[in-house]
Amino acid sequence: MAKSAPRLSFLGFSMALPPALLVVGFVGLPILIGFTFSLGFTTGPNRVVSLIGQQIHTKSHWWGTLDAYRDVIHDSRFAGDFALTLLVTLISTTLVILMSLGIGVYQRMIGGRIASIMSTLTLIPLFVPVVISSWAIHTFYAGDGFMRSFFATFGINVPTLTSTTSAIIIGTIWTSLPFAILMVTSGLQSIPDALIESAQDAGAGFFRIIRTVLIPLALTPIVIATTFTAIGILGSFTIPYFLGPNQPTMLGVEISNFFGSYNRPQQSIVMAFIVFMAASGIAVAYIWANVKSAKQSGRI
Amino acid sequence: MAKQTRSRAKTSSPLVKASLYTFIAAMAVFILGPLIWLALHAFVTNWTYPHLYPDGLTWSWWSKVFLDSALAEAIKNSLIISPIVVLLSMVICLPAAYAAGRMNYFGRKTFLIGMFAANSFPKIGLFAAIATLYYTLNLMGTFLGVVIIQLLGTIIYMTWIPAAAFAAIPRNLEEAARDAGASKFTVFRTITLRLAMPGILVAVVMSFLASFDEAQGSYLVGAPNIYTMPTEMYSLVQNYPIQVAAVFSLLLAFPSVLLISVARKHIIGGQLAEGFQIK
Repeated sequence: MAKSAPRLSFLGFSMALPPALLVVGFVGLPILIGFTFSLGFTTGPNRVVSLIGQQIHTKSHWWGTLDAYRDVIHDSRFAGDFALTLLVTLISTTLVILMSLGIGVYQRMIGGRIASIMSTLTLIPLFVPVVISSWAIHTFYAGDGFMRSFFATFGINVPTLTSTTSAIIIGTIWTSLPFAILMVTSGLQSIPDALIESAQDAGAGFFRIIRTVLIPLALTPIVIATTFTAIGILGSFTIPYFLGPNQPTMLGVEISNFFGSYNRPQQSIVMAFIVFMAASGIAVAYIWANVKSAKQSGRI
Repeated sequence: MAKQTRSRAKTSSPLVKASLYTFIAAMAVFILGPLIWLALHAFVTNWTYPHLYPDGLTWSWWSKVFLDSALAEAIKNSLIISPIVVLLSMVICLPAAYAAGRMNYFGRKTFLIGMFAANSFPKIGLFAAIATLYYTLNLMGTFLGVVIIQLLGTIIYMTWIPAAAFAAIPRNLEEAARDAGASKFTVFRTITLRLAMPGILVAVVMSFLASFDEAQGSYLVGAPNIYTMPTEMYSLVQNYPIQVAAVFSLLLAFPSVLLISVARKHIIGGQLAEGFQIK
């Protein structure tokens, strides 16, 4: 693609500008300003929010102050919330990627009717608004929900999952599955038959082909799926809000609570940056995978 | 491949087959179960634990939703905001998608990576940061504020998916049409645009759903002045019986169901996944 458009075009640059400006103005800038706010810069663009919010710390050094960060870290609930957020992200992402790989490999190697039923089924959550799915899962696993009613018919008493960490994990898997499966499956499908067949001819077994041919060749989409899933779960709000326990809860819910209900916007922004720091490690892997695959095919 | 596929599937033992079907059944319950369970509640008077059958059937919850002014207002807001967001998104992003797919320009790589980097900041944290800025810009609780928040969520779909579609069009097809005497505009209209249409369609569908279903950001900057259907759900589930939430959910899911049936083929066909890799 880069080959077919060798000239640097001013027109192209100006066409690309509007969404870029929108992103700079309403994503880049707020993040930058939010960062200064978290450090205690309470004038300029942060003046109004500093007047409205409570327990605002104003900078005491030229570079700011870490008082708001101290507030958050010393908050008795923070450690539990942070641990829960990381735990849910780790468990859900691992399960989502394993399921995607299983379904993707099955579709690539065996295919047929079962595979197409499976792909249609797992695509459904993509089109269900997360508020609906969270609430549906809430009622399904609730004390008077289907799961308990169904097993009660056989005299089995299953625990209520709603308002537990397990429910958050169920909810995040439910919503993350389609995108991960789409990415992984399309990566696996693009591997040429010839490579798999020659591996078979050379005597490689089913699992050896998966390990040495399929996964390495589809590594980029797998990494993209993993990072996208993990970042999405890390910053989720609706699922833990509807499905999780009141305490501890995921940081997404606390960010919203601190911003709205508690009116402590500075502490809310601080938490956002703590989540961001966790996510940026994951984001680096994502961009690395993208750039690597673009280089391989000579697109950059 | 297809032939080999079938022979391999046949050789699998009944045990493997049985476990496959069990897995599919489990997945069906896992994915469809909650949706069906909630949907059924829209038509029942009450459901007493531990009965597997409802106490009775009724349509009364539907009129309750339409006659409730707050709920009707939310439906109206959603139906106004989402089309505006999608149109704005098309105007802003489609030229950029064409440029990203077909042209080489200064800062192209930075632009592509930057778009994705922006997407990796946790959503709820970003919304809190935007809300901080909104206070200063006087956009808190305004129509425009909600539109901008929802617009941000559509950019990734409206630039990436069409860009991949534009990039995939063979140049020689356009050149052949030019050689045959077609004008630049005719070529763009009859070849470029037509071949990129499936990608654009998927982008429009995904953008509409992203806007229509957006809840976290619209809630943080819109409430308590402006409620859309998804943000109304947050208060709905606490203040109304579950049956009302069920009716509201069905209404909220309706556009999605309609739009999937239109674009299902292209989404499974890889337009979506194609668009999510930097090219």
